[in-house]
Amino acid sequence: MSLPARPRPASGPSPLVPLGYLVCASAAFLVASLGVAWLGPELAGHYYHPRLLALAHTVTLGWVTLAIMGASYQLIPIVLERPIWSERLARWQLAILAVAVTGMVAHFHLGTWPGLMAAAGLLAVGIALHLWNVGMSLRGFTQWTFTARLIVLAYGGLALTTLFGLALVVNRVWPFLPGEFFPTLHAHVQLALLGWVAPMILAVAARVYPMFFLAPAPRRVHSFLQLCGLAAGVPAVVLGLLGVPGLLVAGALAVAAAAGAHAAWMCEMAWGRKRPGLDWGLRFVLTATAFLAPAAVLGVAMAADRLAGPRVGLAYAVVTLGGWISLTIVGMMLKIVPFLVWYRAYSPRAGREPVPTLAQLSWPRAEGLAYLLLTGGVVLLAATVLVGEAAWIRAAGAVLALGALAFAAALARVLGHLHAGAQQWPPHSPDLQSPRERPPHTRTLVDVGARDA
Amino acid sequence: MSISREQITQALRAVFDPELGMSVVDLGLIYGMEIEAGRVSITMTLTAQGCPLHESLVEWVRRAISKVPGVEDVGVAVTFDPPWTPDRIVRDPSREISSAGS
Repeated sequence: MSLPARPRPASGPSPLVPLGYLVCASAAFLVASLGVAWLGPELAGHYYHPRLLALAHTVTLGWVTLAIMGASYQLIPIVLERPIWSERLARWQLAILAVAVTGMVAHFHLGTWPGLMAAAGLLAVGIALHLWNVGMSLRGFTQWTFTARLIVLAYGGLALTTLFGLALVVNRVWPFLPGEFFPTLHAHVQLALLGWVAPMILAVAARVYPMFFLAPAPRRVHSFLQLCGLAAGVPAVVLGLLGVPGLLVAGALAVAAAAGAHAAWMCEMAWGRKRPGLDWGLRFVLTATAFLAPAAVLGVAMAADRLAGPRVGLAYAVVTLGGWISLTIVGMMLKIVPFLVWYRAYSPRAGREPVPTLAQLSWPRAEGLAYLLLTGGVVLLAATVLVGEAAWIRAAGAVLALGALAFAAALARVLGHLHAGAQQWPPHSPDLQSPRERPPHTRTLVDVGARDA
Repeated sequence: MSISREQITQALRAVFDPELGMSVVDLGLIYGMEIEAGRVSITMTLTAQGCPLHESLVEWVRRAISKVPGVEDVGVAVTFDPPWTPDRIVRDPSREISSAGS
């Protein structure tokens, strides 16, 4: 049977573009989780260690940034209703970023600064290309909604984080930065977490979660607090760290208010949702939100000098980066990847012959196992880095690594449909019923009887 | 051959949103239906503007209705006025689709 040309979501790129990013990001997540188990002794010490810097950048660049960039190529046409300017540029950019991140992680691990500078330069080129592509996509854009403003804020944060990172590495080879080293490093970290990743998650959540949960979008008060909290709080935190200490606590409180408004909306949405059951992707997203509470408490306590030291700093990084950010991305990937694969493999045949629903592409057991291991692993890791016991950190890392393997297996099963999609669905059941004759969990998006099939 | 609203509604119940696993009827995406001789006109919406399934869902609706005996022509118009909200999800499957508009 001849199939129509491969479709692409309205105004969106080929599903293979975001899928490429998401697969690379998942590989980085797996490597990072194995790295946590391997680097137990280092994680029991001070965080400024070459191997821990390698681990941190595997997470922030390889996992988080690649996942966000890949998802943004899929989601920007949806949330901002603008087509991506250049799909070819997006493909080239992935190749550049993959090489650059690999180079950066390797040079951090080895502690070779000139090589690191070259890899960081390449990374900056890749990020600049992404910003150029998004900027060109938004040319003439006039609908400055809550989501659109947060996305622009996030890209500003990404540009500044990159500049700070470049300055830090160049400073290693040719010292030029004024002031102390650690405050600048902390500013770089907070710019990445609060200036780049946080607004992007809040922006996408406001448009996408209501569709998934079948619930209302954030109310005006929630939107206002999230946007203003980050827009005012992040610059205040960064300036506070760089030499205006009076701004630090106020900035941290503003960011905590944004996190609180987001969490309040998530609770409201979870209670008021019309979607009857929650799949594992949505459970990940809801559980991730719970990590905002310890992250906000630790962040404000450190800003107010109530808590200090590398142990607390690492625990803050684990609950923010491993808890809220990573679990949110895992949850979103469990929603986005099946959609992209389904669209690529089955959309041309929907309406002509039986095809599966998205739920039927998934592997709920593996997703459930990943949920237990990853959420449990993050809690364990946060507690063990706080205590600073290497053996327990390794155990927590092992739990995380098993969770990452279960997540990878769940994704691999979905990706397998890219090939299986060429086969009949369901694979061994030629006797097809109408959807209303089958229980809901076995329902397929059936042939609706096209005369032109 | 006369075409009944029930026939069209039944046909539309087989068109599913693949992510939500609910039919376009139960999701409340069908705003209006007009039947005139062999021509059926549907006014529908999507859960969000920029929905990646925009073209696909419209095509699936068209195909589903084309299958109903007596249907010679199908017109599908997409509107976002009023925008879809989760309140439109139909809990009672016997609820009728209005003859025009929402």
